[in-house]
Amino acid sequence: MEPVSLFDLATKQAQWLAVRQSAVAGNIANANTPGYTANDVEPFEKVLDRTAVSLQATQAGHLGNAATNAGFTIKPQEDDGVIMPSKNSVVLEDQLMKAGEVRRSFELNTAIVKAFHSMMMMAVKS
Amino acid sequence: MDALTAALKVAASGLGAQSERLRVVSENLANAQSTGTAPGSDPYRRKTISFVSELDRTSGSSTVAVNSIDRDPSDFPIEFQPGNEAADEKGYVKMPNVNVLIEMADMTEANRSYEANLQVVKQARDLISMTIDLMRNQ
Amino acid sequence: MISGIGALQFKPSIGGDDAVTSLLQGGATPSAGGNIGTSFAEALSQAASKTVNTMQNAEQVSIQALKGDADTRQVVDAVMSAQQALQTAVAIRDKVVSAYLEVSRMGI
Repeated sequence: MEPVSLFDLATKQAQWLAVRQSAVAGNIANANTPGYTANDVEPFEKVLDRTAVSLQATQAGHLGNAATNAGFTIKPQEDDGVIMPSKNSVVLEDQLMKAGEVRRSFELNTAIVKAFHSMMMMAVKS
Repeated sequence: MDALTAALKVAASGLGAQSERLRVVSENLANAQSTGTAPGSDPYRRKTISFVSELDRTSGSSTVAVNSIDRDPSDFPIEFQPGNEAADEKGYVKMPNVNVLIEMADMTEANRSYEANLQVVKQARDLISMTIDLMRNQ
Repeated sequence: MISGIGALQFKPSIGGDDAVTSLLQGGATPSAGGNIGTSFAEALSQAASKTVNTMQNAEQVSIQALKGDADTRQVVDAVMSAQQALQTAVAIRDKVVSAYLEVSRMGI
């Protein structure tokens, strides 16, 4: 889905970042839960390439959630991280790094939107 | 419920779970020397906690909850203390099966997880705040 | 040739008055040593197109940043230049409009 304007792209990225934040939050909260595999959203480039946005159930009985409603798929992480004997695959440091990335991208996003919004207002004011 | 508020809820459940874990650890540490009262009786048996991940219906994300608090089934170590009121006829006392070093390591882990969850709460709150700030007059 | 706004991006201290003087100075510089000047109208239109280019550049760099691959400093520089250029252009526009109104009010 090729965004037509800067603001559309910024909104899409902000939604994607929010979904990623919730995935990371779920991983960190379940860092000690046996049998839990870490999740992550699909990369943003893939989201942009998709032309259709559809609701997908990734497993039977899976209710629609904030993520799928926004059209981003959350799937188990692919990296070969450490797997604990309890079958938990969450590495806390990696998750905190991802949270940091989310924060930086989000700050850049809001700063860009703010700047262009103020430019637009400036141009329109008489 | 939007994704950022869902993240807040998930992190809050993590805080709750880790606090429970810390409570269990502190119970074990406090009772590390609690023998029984009658001769030959059992002392304090170590508690263990296990978590389970639950799908929260309103937010659609997997929160964490305490599955159960069980007792450690391992054997009690035995010490020779003939003067103790719980000593059997040979003078041996059954001590709680609490290993202080293990409990301290668990406490450190629980602290670390708690801090990480707290970070997530702060960050989610900040992101929501940044979004609202966009509207504010420059 | 107006080079003022382009040069803005590389100036370490970016000040508001710098922008105005360099924007207009550029217009007065003759290209091949010679006649006194491009007309005021030409200077204005060149300033306007330069502003538009700066803003388009800022938008392009920002879109790249949102997609994930742009240097943060470049984005910040591009957006700041665009803001300055726009502010300058708006100030010039306002002055031009008020000057025109004043001239039109002059008796013959």
